[in-house]
Amino acid sequence: MDALIAAAARALATGDALGALKRVALRDDPPALALRGIAMAQLGEHVRARELLRLAARRFGSHEELARARCVVAEAEVALAMRDLAGSPRSLGAAAAMLEARADRANAAQARLIAARRLLLLGRLDEAAAALAGLDTQGLPAALEALAALAAAELALRSLHTGAAGAALTRAGEAAQRARVPALLAEVAQARSLLDRPAARQLRSGAEQPLRLDEVATLLASGALVVDACRRGLRAGAQWRSLARRPVLFALAQALAQAWPADVARPVLIASAFGFRQPDETHRARLRVEIGRLRAVLAGLADIEASERGFALQPRDGREVVVLAPPIDGQQGALLALLCDGAPWSTSALALALGASQRTVQRALAELEDAGRVRSIGQGRAQRWLSPPLAGFTTILLLPAALPPA
Amino acid sequence: MTSRTDPHRPPAPAHAAEIVREYGPFPDAECIHGVTHDGHRVWAATGARLLAFDPGSGEPTAALDCACDAGTAFDGTHLYQIAEARIDKIEPASGKVVASIPAPGHGSHSGLTWAEGSLWVGQYRDRRIHQVDPATGAVLRTIECDRFVTGVTWVDGELWHGTWEGGESEVRRIDPGSGAVIERLTMPSGTGVSGLESDGDGLFYCGGGASGKVRAVRRPKPGAA
Repeated sequence: MDALIAAAARALATGDALGALKRVALRDDPPALALRGIAMAQLGEHVRARELLRLAARRFGSHEELARARCVVAEAEVALAMRDLAGSPRSLGAAAAMLEARADRANAAQARLIAARRLLLLGRLDEAAAALAGLDTQGLPAALEALAALAAAELALRSLHTGAAGAALTRAGEAAQRARVPALLAEVAQARSLLDRPAARQLRSGAEQPLRLDEVATLLASGALVVDACRRGLRAGAQWRSLARRPVLFALAQALAQAWPADVARPVLIASAFGFRQPDETHRARLRVEIGRLRAVLAGLADIEASERGFALQPRDGREVVVLAPPIDGQQGALLALLCDGAPWSTSALALALGASQRTVQRALAELEDAGRVRSIGQGRAQRWLSPPLAGFTTILLLPAALPPA
Repeated sequence: MTSRTDPHRPPAPAHAAEIVREYGPFPDAECIHGVTHDGHRVWAATGARLLAFDPGSGEPTAALDCACDAGTAFDGTHLYQIAEARIDKIEPASGKVVASIPAPGHGSHSGLTWAEGSLWVGQYRDRRIHQVDPATGAVLRTIECDRFVTGVTWVDGELWHGTWEGGESEVRRIDPGSGAVIERLTMPSGTGVSGLESDGDGLFYCGGGASGKVRAVRRPKPGAA
């Protein structure tokens, strides 16, 4: 529109953020502020970028709603890059509606995609899935299409739909090729490598075997009775019984499943579930109670039969019994496996699921957080733990189209 | 001193712009910044290339590689082109820049035209039109407008300029003395006017900004307003 803005926008579109800044660095009119903000974001100066974009959005006149909405979207993208999830999504929703009404489809879709990615980062998977499902990427810029497909792949992986995840990653890879953004291509490749890495170990009749994600999905779909030590529960086909809040029952189920089809001696069960090495009659009584509770949980899937020296699992309908263990043993491996579902967990819920003390769990989480393998949102009692996103989501894609008024 | 529109004056008559023909989008030209007319061909500034096309066939006939971010003008011999914060004087045959003058303002200029020995430069957000000495770049006079100014053109002693503000676009004829709006042509919603040039006869060529199109709009008959 005006000469320097057009020249700066041209520089920005070719990735020359410094060249763009050189042209508009001394100007304070709103389009120049917006351009400076986007250039700063591309240079990784997110804090300054946000200030500039906010200022630009405020300074655009009331009749320049379109330019203002684009600034709001760009600012939301920067906030996402900063992993600042505290802001309200309302203004972003309003901006998306505004852009849609003015037929700016690409930026409207970008706004919706940012909202979906934010939900994904917050671990609100159902809402994220709904937001993504409502997004039509047909005919949009390839980079946006790639991002949408990556988000869909992450959602599918979290719910172990490996087939859907693979298809989404293929789509993402094709779109990234067309977009010719190397960082996006790298993200797709990295996400795909997750599919080939061991995601769990299978313990079946005493033999141990690492499983890839698609093999895990095959196992879960096979109808075998799976004692899932990753997500802490029992699965048989479509049936899922969570034991995340019942660590004693889970320990018993795991011990029984590992020994299957043999039985397990009472002292061994007591040691694994209660941690007592020299059991007396009271522990045996307590074991009887807990076995009774486990029978109730297993109802319809399997029976537990008492033998002379202990108990044995008797699955119904000729099912096999398999234990699915985290790929790495130990507290940290178990924590990572639990967080793999993508949902936010509180420290106390994690401690309950693992049957460990909160302090132990906090220590392990702190170490994992330092290593960048878990992340947390919220503070104090509201703090929740999540696994890091599968794809980092490149944020160099900030819309150059935030430029007014073109 | 010129003034903004007098609030007591009745608003200028507005007509819907009659779009006669659309040209483009042209290959490798995502955006049209400025347009001018050299008597035979229409020139369009597309960012990195100045493109000439034949208004009869709509086919591109020439292209010059030069920075062209805003308005374009033609003085009968040379092309003038705003690039960043300067105005380049360009030989149409070779694309060679023969002279450069600083543009008035701080790079916020949008439209450019040549008339009566002067260059006229539209200042987009400043809502102004400057009359500039083509030899030195000195500002001779300033006309205040009440909308963001995009393209500027003179035809038969009438000063016309394009506006594009908040998604609404018009082509306006203003009084060169007072800046008062005399006549308005309203573009359909969603079509903006970035550059503006008259062909000296009955048509305006309007750059369509990011649509990459050039639109021919019929000029109202003089005295019809």
